[in-house]
Amino acid sequence: MSTVLTPDDVGHLRTGAHFLACAIDPTAIHVYAGMIQEAMQTRSVELITVDELAPDDLVVSVGMVTQGLFISDMPPVGDEFTGCIEAIETRLGRRVRAIYSLAAANINGIIPLMVGLQSSLPVVDSDPMGRVFPLISQTTLTIGGVAIAPIALMGATGERAVVEAGDPQRAETLVRALVTELGGWAATVMYPCSARQLAEHGVHGSISRMIHIGEILEAETSAESKFLSLSELLGVTRIARGRVTHIEGLSRPTDLGLPAQPSSVTLEEETTGQIIRMEIQNEILLVLVDGAVAAAVPDMVTLLNSEHGSVANLDDLRVGSVVDVLKLSAAPQWYSEAGLDLAEPAAFGIPLHHPRRHHG
Amino acid sequence: MRLGLMLKGTSCRALVVEGRSVVSVAEQRRASSLAEALDSVLSSLRLQFGSQITDVTADVGRVLASARPGNVVAVRISPRPPADQFHNTRLPAHIEPAVTKTVHVQGGHDLRGRPLATLGLDAFLLELPSILSGGLRNIAITAVGSTASAEHETRIADAILSNNSDMRISISSDFYSGAFRDRDYTAVLNSALMQSGEELAAMLDEAGKRHFPAAALSYARNDGGRAPLARLATAPVHALRPEAAMAILGAATLGGLSDGEVVICTDEGVSVGNMRGGLPVARSLIRQGYEASLATNAAIVEPYTANHPFRPGIKTVVADIRTSQDTPPEYGLVPPLPLARDLTLVGCAATPLTAWIDRLERVSGQADLHRVQHRAEEEASSAAVQLGAGPTDTRIIESNVYAMPYGNPGIIRIRVQAAGGASGSEEQALNAHAMEATA
Repeated sequence: MSTVLTPDDVGHLRTGAHFLACAIDPTAIHVYAGMIQEAMQTRSVELITVDELAPDDLVVSVGMVTQGLFISDMPPVGDEFTGCIEAIETRLGRRVRAIYSLAAANINGIIPLMVGLQSSLPVVDSDPMGRVFPLISQTTLTIGGVAIAPIALMGATGERAVVEAGDPQRAETLVRALVTELGGWAATVMYPCSARQLAEHGVHGSISRMIHIGEILEAETSAESKFLSLSELLGVTRIARGRVTHIEGLSRPTDLGLPAQPSSVTLEEETTGQIIRMEIQNEILLVLVDGAVAAAVPDMVTLLNSEHGSVANLDDLRVGSVVDVLKLSAAPQWYSEAGLDLAEPAAFGIPLHHPRRHHG
Repeated sequence: MRLGLMLKGTSCRALVVEGRSVVSVAEQRRASSLAEALDSVLSSLRLQFGSQITDVTADVGRVLASARPGNVVAVRISPRPPADQFHNTRLPAHIEPAVTKTVHVQGGHDLRGRPLATLGLDAFLLELPSILSGGLRNIAITAVGSTASAEHETRIADAILSNNSDMRISISSDFYSGAFRDRDYTAVLNSALMQSGEELAAMLDEAGKRHFPAAALSYARNDGGRAPLARLATAPVHALRPEAAMAILGAATLGGLSDGEVVICTDEGVSVGNMRGGLPVARSLIRQGYEASLATNAAIVEPYTANHPFRPGIKTVVADIRTSQDTPPEYGLVPPLPLARDLTLVGCAATPLTAWIDRLERVSGQADLHRVQHRAEEEASSAAVQLGAGPTDTRIIESNVYAMPYGNPGIIRIRVQAAGGASGSEEQALNAHAMEATA
């Protein structure tokens, strides 16, 4: 059922989008939330479920692809996404009927709302990741065989390109190279598909989930109460409450063309004294407790301030910080053989298979 | 002996510390002007202590915060101007009215320091006469990617100064943040406060030299450190909010704490900060909700809650500075410093000189990383010495490397803090280190 989103929804979405990607500085989300709330004074944006569309309606993902300057350091001019939608419509000779998020967290969780306000297109409550992955090829649509291209991209410089590539990994390589030369990010429109394909292969309820998470985290309750509510809503479990003892940059070799350097954070569990090790590269990929795997990508791992129940931004961690390390499962598609091929630790250069590959 | 000052409105409060001990009751004067109040306090303390005063450090944050910000021209450098009103850079409401003119200049760099667009210098030079003819002296310049290359900001600044060398220019690359709006806000606010900073520096310099000609004169910074007065005129924004840091440092000094936790009970509530190596633990931004953050190193102070984690082995100092202590503090806190009323002044008197290196570096591996980190530590130490610290008492407080999520491969952020000029709290740390070294 369609919903007209409110400024309060945007506020909650901002917090939920940060919760699901605590490794990334949230400034860009804050900037976009402010812009969207201001634009809502004169326009509205509609959130719809995918089954409200006709099966053959053309839907496209909208999202930022980044490698270089932060979005918050090179603010968008404002015409990038509408420019990409125009390019795709021209290329396909069809009108886009609705848009969806490229990823269900961080900046890409909130971008579709601004694009919806600008274009008057409805926003579908679905996405092809159910979280954030660093590569545009790491999607449930790729698992389902939905074509990633044509891809339209445009940067803050005003330069625009359309990439035609059959192989999602080649598309990733080409787009990433263009993004680097565009300065650090590009607005993209990709995975043009039918509403039927998105319904079959997407992850659903993405935007509403982020809004619900935000409602929980912004409530005037204790950190423990927030954790219990998150457990009820998402099946979140607490791996540890740990104190940071060591932060290490360039902690693993990397040659996979992934954006950014690997780093590691070591914590000591506050009550048991167990050693917690988090391996990070753009996202938290792996959590070991005394050497045993407690969470591994595609599982989602996020951090909460143990005292205030607010999202603990990875950038703010210092030796001595105490945080709750939380785990939640990704969308079921990611635990299939094809899903794990795309997104388990080995796909990020960590020589380890996800435990579910062995145990079903 | 070291003198801590707090300036506010037309009043001045002061206190003298020797090592960890307060050796005078707080002197307070209110007069018809701030300069008179300052002169009166210093005159009184000169009679009591004379040449024994070696350092004078003033917290001018409240004066700066209440000063009327000067009008500013904001120059924003990016590949293209915003296409609609929603994509304009937003300033917090308290400073937005100070910006009387905004100028867009084509330019900016990426994270690798490569230009994203040719600098629109010719177009800017055409507009420059109208900027200079308005009688304004304050200009803030912010460029996309200036954390990686300040070239476009400095070329625009040079163009302005070559036409009018009296202009006060603040460039955003002097303030580290990965967000354009944070640097823009900080550069604008800094520019708007430069005249007040100049006037305060001149007033403190004149009075300080008259009463204590041999003393080092400094202002208190937001990170819990201090810097020579001359810097107040160019970077007043670092002096805007030192009070919380100085209170933490003051409590730590009185409590003999170099590393650990400081809890302060006030009439407004209970807050907590941490000490490391004799200084408050700091972060590079003062966050202001969802608005732009102030890009200045500042002590981390958080509300104390009932869920505050108990940390065995971590030393804690609790200070109770409530107006009335008829009831015990909240959360069952037991203050060993029940009558510590002038923590900020103690902190000002005890604060060491601090210097930061916060920048991007390109590295090719672990060995290269260690090399650039070591170089940054050397530069931070040198910067502390340049501020006036002795080479033998300068040490590294923080040295961190940060990966840049979704950044260019090989580019990392390095952040180092050095301190020197021993304070009461720092002397403890130095003594402890010396004991460890000889153990």
